[in-house]
Amino acid sequence: MAAGGPDPLFGLRNSFYLGAYQAAINNSDIPSLSTDDAVERDSIVYRSYIALGSYQLVINEIDSSAATPLQAVKLLALYLSNPNNKEMTISSLQEWLGDPAIGNNPILRLVAGIIFMHEQDYNEALKHTNAGGTMDLHALNVQIFLKMHRSDYAEKQLRIMQQIDEDHTLTQLANAWLNLAVGGSKIQEAYLIFQDFSEKYQMTSLILNGKAVCCMHMGTFDEAESLLLEALNKDAKDPETLANLVVCSLHLGKPSSRYLSQLTLSHPDHILVKRAKSAEESFDRAVQTNA
Amino acid sequence: MLTKFETKSNRVKGLSFHSKRPWILASLHSGVIQLWDYRMGTLVDRFDEHDGPVRGVHFHKSQPLFVSGGDDYKIKVWNYKLHRCLFTLLGHLDYIRTVQFHHEYPWIVSASDDQTIRIWNWQSRTCISVLTGHNHYVMCASFHPKEDLIVSASLDQTVRVWDIGALRKKTVSPADDILRLSQMNTDFFGGVDAVVKYVLEGHDRGVNWASFHPTLPLIVSGADDRQVKIWRMNDTKAWEVDTLRGHTNNVSCVLFHARQDIIVSNSEDKSIRIWDATKRTSLQAFRREHDRLWILSVHPEINLLAAGHDNGMIVFKLERERPAFSVSGDSLFYVKDRFLRVYEYSIQKDTQLIPIRRPGSNSLNQGPRTLSYSPTENAVLVCSDMDGGSYELYIVPKDSHGRGDTVQEAKRGSGGSALFVARNRFAVLERSSNQVSVKNLKNEIVKKSILPLAVDAIFYAGTGNLLCRAEDRVVLFDLQQRIVLGDLQTSSVRYVVWSQDMESVALLSKHSIVIADKKLAHRCTLRETIRVKSGAWDDNGVFIYTTLTHIKYCLPNGDSGIIKTLDLPMYITKIYGSTIFCLDRDGKIRPIIINSTEYVFKLSLQRKRYDQVMSMIRNSELCGQAMIAYLQQKGFPQVALYFVKDERTRFNLALESGNIEKALESAKKIDEKDHWYRLGVEALRQGNAGIVEYAYQRTKNFSRLSFHYLITGNLDKLSKMVKIAEVKNDVMGQFHDSLYIGDVGERVKILENAGHLPLAYLTASAHGLHDTAERLAAELGENVPSLPQGRKASLLIPPSPVLCAGDWPLLMISKGIFEGSLDETVRDAHEDYEEAAVADWGEALDIGEVENLQNGDISMVLEEENMEEENEEGGWDLEDLDLPPETPKTAATARSSVFVTPTPGMPVSQIWVQKSSLAAEHAAAGNFDTAMRLLSRQLGIRNFSPLKSLFHDIHMGSHTYLRAFSSAPVISVAVERGWSESASPNVRGPPALVFNFSQLENKLKVGYKATTAGKFSEALGQFLAILCTIPLIVVETRREVDEVKELIIIVKEYVLGLQMELKRRELKDNPVRQQELAAYFTHCKLQTPHLRLALLNAMTVCYKAQNLSTAATFARRLLETNPTAENQEKLARQILHVAEKNMKDAIDLNYDFRNPFVVCGATYVPIYRGQKDITCPYCSSHFVPSQQGQLCTVCNLAELGSDASGLLCSPTQIR
Repeated sequence: MAAGGPDPLFGLRNSFYLGAYQAAINNSDIPSLSTDDAVERDSIVYRSYIALGSYQLVINEIDSSAATPLQAVKLLALYLSNPNNKEMTISSLQEWLGDPAIGNNPILRLVAGIIFMHEQDYNEALKHTNAGGTMDLHALNVQIFLKMHRSDYAEKQLRIMQQIDEDHTLTQLANAWLNLAVGGSKIQEAYLIFQDFSEKYQMTSLILNGKAVCCMHMGTFDEAESLLLEALNKDAKDPETLANLVVCSLHLGKPSSRYLSQLTLSHPDHILVKRAKSAEESFDRAVQTNA
Repeated sequence: MLTKFETKSNRVKGLSFHSKRPWILASLHSGVIQLWDYRMGTLVDRFDEHDGPVRGVHFHKSQPLFVSGGDDYKIKVWNYKLHRCLFTLLGHLDYIRTVQFHHEYPWIVSASDDQTIRIWNWQSRTCISVLTGHNHYVMCASFHPKEDLIVSASLDQTVRVWDIGALRKKTVSPADDILRLSQMNTDFFGGVDAVVKYVLEGHDRGVNWASFHPTLPLIVSGADDRQVKIWRMNDTKAWEVDTLRGHTNNVSCVLFHARQDIIVSNSEDKSIRIWDATKRTSLQAFRREHDRLWILSVHPEINLLAAGHDNGMIVFKLERERPAFSVSGDSLFYVKDRFLRVYEYSIQKDTQLIPIRRPGSNSLNQGPRTLSYSPTENAVLVCSDMDGGSYELYIVPKDSHGRGDTVQEAKRGSGGSALFVARNRFAVLERSSNQVSVKNLKNEIVKKSILPLAVDAIFYAGTGNLLCRAEDRVVLFDLQQRIVLGDLQTSSVRYVVWSQDMESVALLSKHSIVIADKKLAHRCTLRETIRVKSGAWDDNGVFIYTTLTHIKYCLPNGDSGIIKTLDLPMYITKIYGSTIFCLDRDGKIRPIIINSTEYVFKLSLQRKRYDQVMSMIRNSELCGQAMIAYLQQKGFPQVALYFVKDERTRFNLALESGNIEKALESAKKIDEKDHWYRLGVEALRQGNAGIVEYAYQRTKNFSRLSFHYLITGNLDKLSKMVKIAEVKNDVMGQFHDSLYIGDVGERVKILENAGHLPLAYLTASAHGLHDTAERLAAELGENVPSLPQGRKASLLIPPSPVLCAGDWPLLMISKGIFEGSLDETVRDAHEDYEEAAVADWGEALDIGEVENLQNGDISMVLEEENMEEENEEGGWDLEDLDLPPETPKTAATARSSVFVTPTPGMPVSQIWVQKSSLAAEHAAAGNFDTAMRLLSRQLGIRNFSPLKSLFHDIHMGSHTYLRAFSSAPVISVAVERGWSESASPNVRGPPALVFNFSQLENKLKVGYKATTAGKFSEALGQFLAILCTIPLIVVETRREVDEVKELIIIVKEYVLGLQMELKRRELKDNPVRQQELAAYFTHCKLQTPHLRLALLNAMTVCYKAQNLSTAATFARRLLETNPTAENQEKLARQILHVAEKNMKDAIDLNYDFRNPFVVCGATYVPIYRGQKDITCPYCSSHFVPSQQGQLCTVCNLAELGSDASGLLCSPTQIR
């Protein structure tokens, strides 16, 4: 990365990547931004709101005159807010992506990637994201490849990111994701990455969860539990904290049902809840066949 | 050259270090001798008795003496303690150049322009020898440090070595008269005590200086021929070894260094030169602008030199002596000699790690200066001044402890300072371009940042940040964002010490310490007169630091004080409780135990931890005026009270803190009017009426006392006051008092007695005392005053006081903190203090926020500035925005055409399924179908419903969830079992399972306990849970497999037994079956205590049913187990006793204990040996054949009699 002037959005972006969404929103009042930066700032703020679940706020605040990236963000909010919207949003998304004037907008592509990931249509997602262009897109690519269990491709993406800026927060994060996915000795490196974050920035439940996941993979469930409880203190409703607490409690032989029911109530769509549900069904089915 | 001290004065011709104290003598051309403390930088004394220049001066090694010699031909011996010259030695006939004490004998050697060298006995104050031979001025003469030799240098171009062995012999055995006689003769004939041993010729101008090597037989000399020559000598001869050329004018003085293998010379060419004594090369030259150099002196013990020049002198050292070190967690990394070493504090172990490159001795001060350590990578950065600043990066191999001598090839680079800024990144300062480059462990530049201001050094400031030192400030610089986070005005910071939590930082300069928080907000500044050397934070947030002479502390509020004095400079590395770990200049680790009481006390006070304060006071570990003054000054007079013995101070302190009782106590002891008065005032202020009264009584201040009684309504006392006033003949007082009481008669009487008859009359008549009025009127005669008309008189009665007795409501005095608890050792008040403390914490926090705000503002301003630049660029963008609308499209199409989405890979769970034939691992992968099939094949399990929750848990526990990109779906990551640091990535291990064997063992213990306690259904639950879990257990070794199998047997026995026992309890009305079941229970394999209980139970049941013979068998079996409980044994014996009288059974039972049997798990009937039975394929319980095809009633899992391959619970079984 060329040695340019200080990046006014650095802190904001970092907060966002590291899951300090409220901090990102609170500190978004940055004076004298260029128009491009202001749009990026707004998109980060709205994406933070989405991450916090305030979809309606985003939908209401972004009107039709807003810039393309913000429209894209709004689309994401629409998609996530109501399952009934899905088809509609996807069709307008396709339409926009086809529009040569805006189809190449990185945020739009990013949103497309995220939405198609939710649809588990990785092929379609990659179609829009694989060219990269921003760190966000590269990081999303890493994640898509990990979802596809293609850590080899993920690693290639990571190399690209490292060439662009090795110390970028997203590069580090993506590195940690990959490390966790490939396992083995890499787990420790992932732990160190999260450890670095925790020393450098404010503790967020994302960082704590990251550390805790590493701990669980290294078999130190006690430490994981204390990290997760700390995360729970910060945000009692964080779905990943609850999900990981379920896992951790199971391994420690402690009761986990409360966390599970909390999660089921607050996030019925969480992957753990879904897994639990499908497990139940497949158990019953298996009993039938084995009866 | 590191200058430590400098003076300005007349030309300095002579110098001498004191061997113990930080003193140096300088003799001046003006005739004055100055005594300086070079550490404090103060002039200790001056001696001005010589007439004309003083060229030679020397301290005595042990006595408080020094000697001086001057151009007035006088040698003076001085006592610096007495501040005066003791005596003068006369004899030289010309200027005296040098004087020196002998290290052992009471001798002085002097060199003079009269061409002689003289040796004097300063005790007898006589000249004992005159050494003649030089035929020009003798410029210098000095004793050999050990041998009986003198070396002298003269303008006759020679250096001479003199043997004074004879002189010494004479002194050693002076009692020998005959010898002395002959000596007198020789003395008389011109002295052979001292003979020239060698004459060293080689210089071709006058020689100004010559001196011995401290240990080797070497001499170094300097002359007007601008050369320095080295000479060697042995017993018989001496010869020139080498010549050092370089000076461009007369060499005035030359010496061997006391501790290093170097020669130091100075010259009239205004330079000091350093030479390598072995290689005989010039190492370095220090030039002065205007001053010719005249004299050098080397400190006998420590690494210091001094040089005198035209306008004063300098004290300096050649090399820094601070060992480079770095503290990381529990370890101290430091450089000693040429090795990197590590010291572990907790185990006090010192290990040599790796050799590091020895700095070439081609110049000085090239040794390691700073260390930086990255614990995760085990990498060390060593910085030195070599080549104008460079660093070396070493990776410490993990197993290198104490190994090898081979120097690892380090990665090198140049740069002002280098240090780790993250675990695998280090920053290097490039001063020329004012940039910091961040490098990785391969020494490759990752990025570069231009620094915001001219920086001459960088320091650690947490991950990703740097503390940059500019000329007059330090700034906190974020390397990633390239912005300044904090800024603090402070000049020339030398060292930076962060607290453990990285919340506070101490910036050490030469003479000051600045404490700041992590944002560089200033907290306090300390100034020191003596150089600050090092420091570290203790656990309580106290900064402990060393100066050259002391260990001191600095509290968070800036209060400081001395902990201990130091003999030698120490460098604090870490503090553990009251142990301070220091490094000394030789690189030795020295733990120093300190008494931390004082600062802990002050800290407790400051933090309002009064409980600690009190306990410290109780143990009375500290006292003294300083502490009292401190307490008073800090507003804790009530605490100070407890340190004071002097009553007056105590009284004052008590008043100050409003502690009236203590004040009273002291006042009583002092018993002075003034004190009582002040006590009264304070008591009145507080409303303590009793003490006010007492104080007034003691001061005999009756009018105040009366008034006091009036307002407190104490009329009895008031009337007593009337009496007292009467006795004291105090008419006015008496009158007042009676006025207060409202006693008119008394008043009239007083007025009358005082001769104020008209007043008396008026008073009497006004108050209706007509009898008295008439009487008085009669006395007055015609002078009866007329009463004012038209007014109605009323009796003047003082108002009744609000409170009649006791004290008034007392003023709230902030007491109770120490008083009660300290005096009476009542300890209930603690909580209040805690609250107080909390309240104050709150305030402190507020302040912090305010500071943060300010910081925020600063950075805002900075950002604004930056923004402006950005905006300008933004303007450029607008113009060419419309130009290429087509390119994105092509790019987009190109993208979709080229890129081919890879096929999805195989999820880890699928790999688990493929690799494994363990049911648990299939379940973890979520492949319940195959898991069940495996279980059914291996263990014949048909009933899976009890396993549902287990399957569920094991599946849930197999993945963790990682929130990756915001709003994108969560990544679930498979958790693998048996992780180790060395496991290679991308090789999938088996899944981590939520159940393990040790959990089952714990459950077993719980089950046992419940059984013992008789909670059978609970115990049964535990045992059944174990049975259910075992099919999903995976263990690693064969041995554990056997243990698991064993566990099944143990548990199934218990399950069967407990099921029977529970059944028995249901059957209240079937005594036969009851007895049978109780009897069968005793045949389950139980733990001995449980077996005893079962036997006891069966015995009792049978006995009650009059089946005495059976009961007796149980009793016998019970006794065979040697019961530990006495009552069990007793009962058994009793039953046995009764049964033996009547060995009969009332009822026949289906129970033959002689015939071995197993019990059917479903019907609970005995299956005797030889009878047919079937077993459960999983738990191996026995059943009667009729149960074939049924579900096992013991484990409730498997189908009886079905075929099964057996338990598979370890990968080792498969291999």
